Amino acid sequence: MGNVIVWIIWFLAAAACLGTGIAVVSMTNPFYSALALIGNLASLAVLFLLLSAEFVAAAQMLVYAGAVMVMFLFVVAYLGGRADAPWAGGPPLLRGAAVVAAVALLTEIVVVLGLAWGDNLQDPAAVPGSFGSPAAIGEAFLTDHLLAFEITSIVLLVAAIGGVVLGTTREKEEAA
Amino acid sequence: MMIAAAWACLLSPLVGALTITIAGGRISRRAAGWIATLSTFIAFGGALVAFVGLWAADPSDREHVSTAYTWLAAGDFEVQVQILLDTLSSTMMLIVSGVGGLIVWYSMGYLAGDDEERRYFAYISLFVFSMLLLVQAGNFLLLLVGWGLVGLASYLLIGFWHYRPEAVAAAKKAFVMNAIGDATLALGLVLLIWETGTLEYSGVFEQVDGLSSTIVTLVALGLLGGAVAKSAQIPLHTWLPDAMEGPTPVSALIHAATMVTAGVYLLVRASPIFEAAPDVQHLAAILGAITLLVAGFIALVQWDIKRVIAYSTMSQIGYMFMAAGIGAYGYAIFHLMTHAFFKALLFMSAGLVIHHLDGEQDIRKMGGLKAVMPRTHIAFLAGALSLAGIPIFAGFWSKDGIVAAAFATNDALGAFLYAAGLVGALLTGLYTFRLYFAVFRGEPSELVKEHTHGHEAHGEGPLTMLIPVGVLAVLATVGGLVVIPGVWEPFLHWIDETAEPLVQATVTEDYGTSAIAVSLGLIGFVVARRAFHAGRQLVTNPGIWRVLEHKFYFDELYDALFYRPAAALSVALRRNVEEPVVERSLDEIGSGTIQVGGEVARVQSGLLRTYAVTIAFAVAVLVVVFVAVR
Amino acid sequence: MDGPDVGWYLIVAAMLFGIGALGVMLRRSPLIVLLSLEIMLNAANLTLIAFARQQGDLDGQIFALAVMAVAAAEVAIGLGLIVAMARRRMLLDVDQASALRG
Repeated sequence: MGNVIVWIIWFLAAAACLGTGIAVVSMTNPFYSALALIGNLASLAVLFLLLSAEFVAAAQMLVYAGAVMVMFLFVVAYLGGRADAPWAGGPPLLRGAAVVAAVALLTEIVVVLGLAWGDNLQDPAAVPGSFGSPAAIGEAFLTDHLLAFEITSIVLLVAAIGGVVLGTTREKEEAA
Repeated sequence: MMIAAAWACLLSPLVGALTITIAGGRISRRAAGWIATLSTFIAFGGALVAFVGLWAADPSDREHVSTAYTWLAAGDFEVQVQILLDTLSSTMMLIVSGVGGLIVWYSMGYLAGDDEERRYFAYISLFVFSMLLLVQAGNFLLLLVGWGLVGLASYLLIGFWHYRPEAVAAAKKAFVMNAIGDATLALGLVLLIWETGTLEYSGVFEQVDGLSSTIVTLVALGLLGGAVAKSAQIPLHTWLPDAMEGPTPVSALIHAATMVTAGVYLLVRASPIFEAAPDVQHLAAILGAITLLVAGFIALVQWDIKRVIAYSTMSQIGYMFMAAGIGAYGYAIFHLMTHAFFKALLFMSAGLVIHHLDGEQDIRKMGGLKAVMPRTHIAFLAGALSLAGIPIFAGFWSKDGIVAAAFATNDALGAFLYAAGLVGALLTGLYTFRLYFAVFRGEPSELVKEHTHGHEAHGEGPLTMLIPVGVLAVLATVGGLVVIPGVWEPFLHWIDETAEPLVQATVTEDYGTSAIAVSLGLIGFVVARRAFHAGRQLVTNPGIWRVLEHKFYFDELYDALFYRPAAALSVALRRNVEEPVVERSLDEIGSGTIQVGGEVARVQSGLLRTYAVTIAFAVAVLVVVFVAVR
Repeated sequence: MDGPDVGWYLIVAAMLFGIGALGVMLRRSPLIVLLSLEIMLNAANLTLIAFARQQGDLDGQIFALAVMAVAAAEVAIGLGLIVAMARRRMLLDVDQASALRG
């Protein structure tokens, strides 16, 4: 019984994921695209929950959907009409090649997965209930992966500085 | 002690040359001259100490080889940097550094005021070092190094006044002809390495008897080729008269006293090889005799004072080759020494004359210098008498000894050489006194009168020029008294220790020959005097005169045989190979690269999306690769 | 484990990645390109989480969190660039930024 429910939830979440993904890529109004991405992120969070990654799911909603996408929406609002994104072309050779490349990649991945399914993708490991809990993540970050933790924080600092720099250097010119 | 002195002798001029070169413009020109002169005299000091040490030693202990370090080593074959100190090399060391020192001193006066004096003194110190290396070398390879270096120094010094095209051409000619000799010499050495596995004198000489006669003949021919080129014997002689384009001290040192005698030194040093190939040795004697005669005849019609002396040098070296060719090694070296004295003296006195007349070298414009330059006159006369072989001057003792030795060989070759030697004595008397009379006797010419008035104030020349000339005049007079046949012959015994003579003339033969030779010399003197006072040339037949004036057409012959075909070939190659193929292909490479670059640059469209697509494709391909490899 | 095998999640991730790649390559507005880039990153995240579950190893989730942080930083800078472009009255068209030509 529980299995069936999980399957249904998986199916709905996966469908939403792919559907919103296609929406993001194909909409002409960037505002709608951003909203579609928020939907995408939410369905991904559900998938994460199904994979016992509770903390990551929570972080995804809080950080990604909550902060990053809001920032995106701010910028879209600032740009107003200028942000409109029609589907206008580009060299047809380019478009054809792009589709071919993407399809090729997809096919390859499916093939590889197919080849590996029998051997490597059966029997996921048994995990304790605390797998993916904040406590476990926290412990891992602060013991085994401390360096990654610190470096990530530096990356964020650099990005913040970069953002400020990008935002303010032009003010003198604009004023003049 | 004497070994150290020998090394000091060798290295002192090198230090001098390096000092002058490195100091460059920071020292005065005069200082450069002093450095060169002193370094050569220090070398002489070293040579003297080495000589005395050797003399005081027991006669069985008179061969020392001193090795500095191993220069080359390839398998079993090794070449060391080593010097040999024996009776022959110590004698050569004294001659080179002694006469050399006097000439370098003399050049301080001769070249004073020239802008590039320092370069001259650096070159001439280099030359002295190279010549010393040549005579002190303990193995054939080091000899070859010295051989090549003296050729280089000769080239640099002949072309010293590089803004004169004739000088540059003469320098090239000298170098190229010497290169021919260098090549044959090197080939001979290669054969030696092949057959004997060593280039040390002692090693080679021990094994000479064991070699096949073809090999020994070839080696000897190679050595002879080198000697002929370096000593300006026929057929590789045409460079010597042209080499007179260099400054007179250079002519004195390199083209009279030392470098051109290197061939004779080689013939004596390598005598074991030549004795094992008697045909080549006799060939050397024949070439010497032919050169002796040809040069003597040409000298009769030359009107450039230096060229007369140059042909005289060629002729006298012919005597030395004759001596070495029949095995009279002691006399060959003895004549080398006396020749160094009187020939350098003649050149240097001629230099005083040229200096006094502000560069004039044409004897037709000279005359009556006896009254104007009395001291030069005496010096020149001493040199002339010595050259003509008048007793008791030095040339008398040495030259006649050679001719007598030819007599003593008692075969057809000896007879030919004997006759040649005597005819040569006549010729020598003729051309020497023709020169003497034309320059110094008679009425002063116009040119001389002009210069007399201006130069009255400072006499015949600076002391730096007069003193060396004086010393050489004394040597040319008494230097021959170290060999008085039948009475005492220390010089001959000294050289005999290194190179045993093959032939010895008896005392009667010696004095008998001398009588004939001296008479011939005096006949030459009388004929020349008569001709001068009658105002006539020695050679009146126009046909003969033309042949002699063109130096037997050797230059024309070589021009047609060698130079023209080579020049034509090079022009043809240039037109048909160099330009169309080589240069064009280089151009093509350049323009082709630019074209390809242009094509490739079109890939950089600037569109970001193209890059993205390219990356995607690349990843797709890589995935396949990784999966396949796994 | 209840529900589908890990492999099915991976297929979803692969398809998401392909969609995102198409968006990057085919759209001209830098905003949409940025959004498509986010989709690709998320697809990678999903793959990491799936494998973490498969192996029972928490490292995958740690990695995913780091990816998330870096993606956030990248979005910030990208948006900054877009705002700068807009301020300078440039057309918001990726094809116009062809200074790398030749």
